[in-house]
Order: sequence, then structure tokens, then C-alpha cells
Amino acid sequence: MFHYVMSGLRVTSDLAMPGLIETAATASAAPDVRIRQGEVPLALDDCDASGPNWQMADDRFLLRIPGIVRMTLDAGTAITWQCEGDTRPEDAVIFISGSGFGLLMHQHGRCIMHGSAVAVGGRAVLFCGPSGAGKSTLAAALAARGFGHVADDQCVLSGLAGGEVLVHPDGRAHKLWEQAITKLDLAERSGDPVRSALRKFFVAPQAASPAESGAALPLAAIYILAEARAPDLVKGEKVTITPLNLADAAIAVRANAYRPAMVERLGQAGLYLQAAAAAQRAGGVFRLVRPMNFEVMDEVLAALARHWEDTGLAERVA
Amino acid sequence: MKPIVWLASFPKCGNTWARLLLANLASEEPRGINTIGTGDGIASSRPRFDDTCLIASGLLTHEECDAMRPALYRHLAEGAGRRAAARESADDPLGVWQWIKTHDAWTCTTAGEPLMGGGAIAHAAVLIVRDPRDVVASLANHNGQTLEEAATMMADPDSAFAGRSDRQPLQLRQRLLGWSGYYRSWIEQDEVPVHVLRYEDLQAGAAGALGAVLAGLGISVDPARLERAALWSAFETVQAQEAESGFKEAPVKLGTGRFFRSGRSGGWREELSDALRATIERDHGEMMRRFGYLPEGRR
Repeated sequence: MFHYVMSGLRVTSDLAMPGLIETAATASAAPDVRIRQGEVPLALDDCDASGPNWQMADDRFLLRIPGIVRMTLDAGTAITWQCEGDTRPEDAVIFISGSGFGLLMHQHGRCIMHGSAVAVGGRAVLFCGPSGAGKSTLAAALAARGFGHVADDQCVLSGLAGGEVLVHPDGRAHKLWEQAITKLDLAERSGDPVRSALRKFFVAPQAASPAESGAALPLAAIYILAEARAPDLVKGEKVTITPLNLADAAIAVRANAYRPAMVERLGQAGLYLQAAAAAQRAGGVFRLVRPMNFEVMDEVLAALARHWEDTGLAERVA
Repeated sequence: MKPIVWLASFPKCGNTWARLLLANLASEEPRGINTIGTGDGIASSRPRFDDTCLIASGLLTHEECDAMRPALYRHLAEGAGRRAAARESADDPLGVWQWIKTHDAWTCTTAGEPLMGGGAIAHAAVLIVRDPRDVVASLANHNGQTLEEAATMMADPDSAFAGRSDRQPLQLRQRLLGWSGYYRSWIEQDEVPVHVLRYEDLQAGAAGALGAVLAGLGISVDPARLERAALWSAFETVQAQEAESGFKEAPVKLGTGRFFRSGRSGGWREELSDALRATIERDHGEMMRRFGYLPEGRR
């Protein structure tokens, strides 16, 4: 059995899950989440909602990646998985520890953002956006500048009701495409591929943070990533950081939940409104617009450094 | 169930123009190039795949991703998708169907299913065709290639958009099969009725050409409304809009360059060398004759 801390929860798994934060088994406490192999049905009885490859019935969720793996998620506390065809578990595990676990967090009623995070002055700064927005790449570039790694793809926020909001790490590795590894000169830190057929790899971050042991960091700010495109691009400004007011922040935070459709489906809009308000209190929600081009990465990092100085976040570093 | 009408074309054959015409036809006020919807309107949209299937398409190989796409389109057509209803408007004569752009050739998945989900979910396909001799220069401009490179891509049965594997392309991979392969794949499939709309006919008279295609699909639209849509979508208007504020769907590497480049038909007479013209006519002769770009019998 393997033991991990994932998004602040104690997880046991019968499958080794690369890139995650391993922890010692605790005899005293039961795990929060159990991941195990088992029989998984192809369909659920009496489902309330369904998609092309998923079904939901009460507190049970079935997710299928045809020909690769299918899994049931139960009450936010258990994942049961079964490989399909001749797929080997190690080629399916990223769907369990990534997509499956993320959906489990939604099911669990936790606030989960689709974002990477780095440590700035002992607090966590989030970079949110859909797949392909450049979350991992930006976090890896910042790690190369000494900002500790906190999360690569999923950020669970806790403590939204009041007091300090905490950001829980999702693992100890970046997941980067070959092109990004080359452009960021990280080949030496690159490990196994995320799946055998993909040229996307686990990469060891250049800078560690307290999050490496699974500890949560206080939330500092949320940046929503966007690509500079026409009509914005022709205005001449390449990299812009714009604060969002509470109304826009509320829309942006909800839209950047790990799976926005689940927020709606599970009636959790209030939770993400709380998160937006908490983020505003912590330091703000900002829109970071920049060209998606490695040639301007230095400019993006410089803009962020200036912004952290202006907002006082960088002072905490010293 | 809200059946799909596929707006299918090889790149640079007038798909954006057709979408703008349709957007303006459905609207009571002029719609500009940056208001005809985002990348979500395209079949190969990655965000829509991820949002609907609740997994990261980037963790799938191109083939594995293709294997899931038929179910995605069935789900969209069944009206369960949130976006299906977004287009509905009482006064929109096009609102009975979902109009979805695609540059995907008609292909089958590794399991033998039609990638686009088959005939049961689609009312029809509008196949937008343009003289490949004019496509060459437009494609070269779009891709930042030479004319010869663009012609090579158009002749390549393995050609694709968003097909790289060392990074995550913005969209899902779209197999093009080359210019001839693209059009052959759509006209030779027998699941979805195909209505051909030629770029050149749009140019000769957009209102008439669009009206004829819509009539073929089974809807009649007020001719005055068609004329108004044509006027609001005129090439000069579109070009002026791009010069003023850019086009958000243009490739970023074009910068402030022109997505809407010349829009002419027959520009190849000045732009192509005799040798390149001959190459294209040789590579695509059969399909060019099929769509009336070469006289029958000419070899």
C-alpha cells in the first residue's frame, strides 16, 4: 500500500502514483481517501446526470476513459479503478491521480481550483487557467528563479469561511511538455513521461517550499492566465496585470474551478463566491495577459516581480 | 436533440466568411469578426472537450482523443450540452440546428466509428470549397510558409492542424488529408448529406449563394435579410475591422498581419508561377474538375 498527502488529505492507494507527496503510514488515523483496484461497472443505475463518458447517481460518480481506464468515485472518499483493454495501470494512473482525484474533491465539497501555485514570501500565489493556458510552464519558470513549488494543476483552498485561507499542494513535480523542458533548459531535472506514449514528463522543481512535505501555505493572490491576442494585442501592450473587482473575480474564480461544470452540477456556486471574496481579502484576483511565447517569458517574470513589489508581497521574501 | 450542421472546409476556404454571414443573418444588428463566437464554435475545441468529458484531453494521444470525439458530438447534439441552448433566439431562422465549424476531414476512429459522430446527429454538412490555386497563397500567409511549402501540405494525405506531439496544441488534432483528400472524404461519405458552397459563388453574390444553400437545407430566408447579412459581411468591411482591431481567431504569429488577406478569386494568375500552378492542377485535378475549377476532360 502507498500513502500520500494529496490536497491536504491522507490518501492510501494500491497503485504507486508518481509525482505525489509520499508520507509514512499512520497506524492511528484512518485515511481520508482510499484508492483501490476493483470491479467498475460500465454504467450506473438510476443516474441523475450524464456526459459523453461519465454518469452521476446520488453520491456516486462514474468516469470512463474508453480503452484506458474507468473508475467510480464514492462520496468524496473512495476511488475504485479498473483498466480497460490491455492498458497497464502505470499508463492509466495519471487519470486517477489527476482527473479522478480532482472530481473527487468536487464531490467532497472542497473548493478546488484549476491552477498551479508557487511560494512567494511564504505564501502561495495561484496561476489559473484551462488546460494549455501555461500554468505549469509559468510555475516551472518561477521555480527556476527560486520560487518554491506548491502545485502543478490542482489547488484545493480551505478555510474559506473566515480567517486564513490555505492552499494545499497537489504533488512534488511539474508536468511539462518536451518543448517547455527544452525552452526552460530543464532536461536534467526531467524524469519519466506522464504516460508512456506522451512527450510530457515529470520534472523536479528547482526550488522546494514547505509544501514539499504536504503542508498548506496561506493564499497570497490568484492570477487568471490569458493569452494576449487581437484585439488586445494591437494596442501595443504585451504583458498586463489587471486587478479584478469582486464581481469579475467571482466570475473568474468560478470559471477556473478544476471542473466548472461540476460546480454548477453540484450546486457549489456559493463556495466559489466565498473563495473569490477570500482571495480578494488575501491580496486580490488579477488577470495576467501575455503572449504565449517563450521569448517573452523574462518579461512576464519581470512584470510579476514588479507586481509583487508594488503589492508588498515581495517584502515578505526579505 | 438539436442536430448539427457541420460547416466543413479545408483551412482558408471561406469558413470564417460563411460563419460571419450566418451570424449576421441571425442578428438584428451588424456583427463584426470578433463577435462571431470564440474557438468554442469549432469541433476541435479543446476547452469544450475537457469541460464536457471532465478529463484533460492533453493526457490522451491524438488517436485516443479521436476515439472519444464521436460520443462528445452525440452528447452535444442530444442537447445536454449547456452551449446547445446558447444560440437559441426566437427570431433566428438558423436556430433549429447547431452550426459547428470544422476543419476535420471525414475520418473514422481506430474503432471504426465516424469521428464526427455519424449521420444520426447531423442534419447536413455545408462543404465550403475554394479553388486550390487561390488557397495556396492564403494558406502560405496563414502558416508563414512559402507557396511551395503550402502546396506540399495541400498535397500531403497526412497533413493535419494542431498535430504536434512535443507540446499541447491549442486545439485537438485535425486530420486534413490534403486539399483533395479533405473534399473527397466529405463527398464520398454517405452518412451526412453534403451541400456544397463555393467561395467563388459567395463572391459573385453572397446573398444568392447562401440563400441557395439554406434552401437546400430546407429553410427559406427573406431575401432582404440575406442581402443585409451579405452587406454586413462584405470583404472590405471585414478587412477594415481587422485593420482597426485585429482578428482574435487569427494565428498569433501573424501578429497584426492580415488574416483577411485579399479575398480575391483568381489571384493565382498573378501569384503563382506556371510550375506551381501546374503542380496544383496535377495534384488536385480530379477534385478541381469535380467542383468546376478545371474544365472536364482537361488533363
